[in-house]
Amino acid sequence: MARSGSLWMRLASACCLAALGLAAAPAAPARAAGTLIWGMPADTDILDPQATGGWGTYQVTYQIFEGLVKEDLTKADVSTPPIVPALAESWTVSPDGLQYTFKLRPGVKFQDGTPFDAAAVKFNFDRFWNKSSPDYYPKTASFVAAYTKWIKAVDVLDPMTVRITLTAPDYEWLRQGLQSYGQPLMISPASVKKYGNAGVALHPVGTGPFMFVSRTQGVRTVLKRNPNYWGRPAKLDRIVFLPLEDPATRVNALRSGEVQMISTPPWDDIDSLVKAGFTLSTNDHAPYINFLYLNMHSKPFQDPRVRKAVNMAIDREGIARDIYRKTGRAEYGMLSPGTYAYDPNFKSYPYDPAAAKKLLAEAGYPNGFTTVFELPQYGTGELVETWIQRDLKKIGINVELRKYEWVTYLGLWAKGMTNDVGMDEIGWGMSTPSWVDIVVECGSVAPNGENSGYYCNPKVDALLNQALTTKDQGAAKALYQKANRMIMDDAAYVPTVDDLDPVILSPKVHGFVNPPEDWFDLSTVSIGN
Amino acid sequence: MLRSYLGKRLAAILPVLFGVSVIIFLLMHLAPGDVTTVLLGPQATEQDRVALRHTLGLDQPLPVQYGRWLERTAEGDFGTSIATSLPVTALILPRFVNTIILTVASLFLAVLIGYSAGLFAALRARSWFDRSMMTVTLIFGSTPPFWLGLLLVLLFALKLQWLPVSGMIDMAGDGGVLDTLHHLVLPAVTTALAPAAIIARMVRSSILESLGRPHVLVARAKGLRRRDLLRRHVVLNALPPIMTITGLQLGYLLGGALFSEVVFAWPGLGSLLYSSITARDMPVVQAATLLIALTFVLVNILVDLVNVLIDPRLQES
Repeated sequence: MARSGSLWMRLASACCLAALGLAAAPAAPARAAGTLIWGMPADTDILDPQATGGWGTYQVTYQIFEGLVKEDLTKADVSTPPIVPALAESWTVSPDGLQYTFKLRPGVKFQDGTPFDAAAVKFNFDRFWNKSSPDYYPKTASFVAAYTKWIKAVDVLDPMTVRITLTAPDYEWLRQGLQSYGQPLMISPASVKKYGNAGVALHPVGTGPFMFVSRTQGVRTVLKRNPNYWGRPAKLDRIVFLPLEDPATRVNALRSGEVQMISTPPWDDIDSLVKAGFTLSTNDHAPYINFLYLNMHSKPFQDPRVRKAVNMAIDREGIARDIYRKTGRAEYGMLSPGTYAYDPNFKSYPYDPAAAKKLLAEAGYPNGFTTVFELPQYGTGELVETWIQRDLKKIGINVELRKYEWVTYLGLWAKGMTNDVGMDEIGWGMSTPSWVDIVVECGSVAPNGENSGYYCNPKVDALLNQALTTKDQGAAKALYQKANRMIMDDAAYVPTVDDLDPVILSPKVHGFVNPPEDWFDLSTVSIGN
Repeated sequence: MLRSYLGKRLAAILPVLFGVSVIIFLLMHLAPGDVTTVLLGPQATEQDRVALRHTLGLDQPLPVQYGRWLERTAEGDFGTSIATSLPVTALILPRFVNTIILTVASLFLAVLIGYSAGLFAALRARSWFDRSMMTVTLIFGSTPPFWLGLLLVLLFALKLQWLPVSGMIDMAGDGGVLDTLHHLVLPAVTTALAPAAIIARMVRSSILESLGRPHVLVARAKGLRRRDLLRRHVVLNALPPIMTITGLQLGYLLGGALFSEVVFAWPGLGSLLYSSITARDMPVVQAATLLIALTFVLVNILVDLVNVLIDPRLQES
């Protein structure tokens, strides 16, 4: 028995030694200079900016592609990123606001060597707008609709000049091009012809400061510096985008030095990471609103007093303080803080549960009622929704939380709430105030748009349309703010708490700017000691 | 005899795979949510959605859709991923290989730890070693792997800094086999510990039962050397139930590996399957589940075959 035991013992020892040997192997091979590894909460979608949506994807495509103009994301201390020339050196707008003439930047080449000129611009507009062109790619249609629905004609005036004619004046049109659900950025025509429309997903070729190296779906996406970039060259050699879906893994990877940057950090870990020497970067003007839709087809919510009571019953400041751990901001209106029309002093319904209960009684619900809140198992998790459920319970409204997986939820949200559902939610926004049209206008009422709660006030629509066609930004701002007050007087929505776009950085990361946008310009970033 | 047994078992694979594919196909279609929502975004018009459904063939009746898929699959063509426009095979195979690497490493550890611990405990039954080993196996056997994984990360990656936290290679390095092995240690240990504990307990009880059998007593009375006694009369007779439980644990390891893939961001089939289900990427879901089912069935046949080789009486049953 002893001899047999010793045989097993020897085997076990050999294996332990082998395991120890592995453990003692070099912890990390020599690191390439200037590589930023970013731990992201999810993998990005396909890398075709004209045929995809989602901020996580723009965070990658923004580094590869550019448009005729772009938002300057190298400034954090502005409320809205200024629009600056990119592939167009300059542009003029006709006095009637209908024609935009772009003078293209000379000497620019796509990363595959294709020259950038008016023909390339025409090709791209044909791809995402011109249904009669053989180059049209139908999949782009819904992604760039907010931009293309205004276009009447695209004309090449000379090899370096393009004129775009709109169907009606829209003074937010340039920014809508950067904020559409997809982004109408310029793709190399030669690459599209070589790899096909679907091939852009794996062969993205633009003019930006970084160029595509490789991608393993769900594992990593690698970019490297574009050595022939027309503008200020990027400082980093490489960027690795790493999907780390488990929040704890993201935090641990940052702590161990495997990644130098993480987005969407778990709220509970923020304080300890900051104490451990990591940097928390947020932006007070993130163009983003979390809000609830109230269902105008559900009986209790047809009474504005009930809608106001719900708005008053939710302790937004408490959510921002205790759940978001100071990386959130209580919101009281439907204009995103990242837009020029935002009014920080506007407080529609401060927290007042006693007044809310009184209003509810006046509306004929002294003992409250029961309703359903549909929500996705995504994003902020269920902490905020549970908090809302608790607050509403305090004024007598019993809320049943119905959670759905994200895609299922999106389908329900887009179809509009059924009569038995009282509220649903979304987090969305753009740095143009014209975004609010998408969720409040009568023409957007579900299932024909994203107005999931069926709110419709023609006076609000008229104000929003007037704002869009008003050239003077001061006057447009006043119109947007008036519309916002009207929407909140109707208490049709419940803005809750906005995310300040928290990013946690290793002390080795220098030059990172968290602008009032949901994606970043990584060309300013470098890695040091 | 053995050949006909094997033939029967292999022939039974096809109906199993067919059943799995039908169930997955129906389940995916029963689930609410629409692939066009994912592909076209919330601003798509109903016209866009109808056109896309037509392009993807999703406007056809379910039996027609299934029939087309079956026809292509029978020809070895798993199609193109709806969400990523990549060939399904190119998407799945590398991830499957990664899952197999993790599963095989975990199996190796589970067998090594389980067999050693179980045998030692049985040979020293009711000693302090046996009692403490059984307590430890009880604890590991009932610990959720994702929690255990996080604890191991805290100790070995963050505190001691011996091992990496996540992934399969160092993203800033050049990779290589050594780098992958280094990344494999924690996920493999995490996946292996619970099955190792169950195997250890089964090995212990099986060996103990064997040790108490009359023919072992007779052999001992006849003065057979202890080593020969253990090898020829105890271990060999104890093997069938041990092999069966090991085979079953391999199924558990495949499932457990999926958990570890999340905690350690190990790029295996589990995370791909999850993202494909959430994206309603039917061709990928179908191919991945078929591959998992096929692996599971083949492993079971292999285990049964080994059992038959050890104990020929099983062939008759």
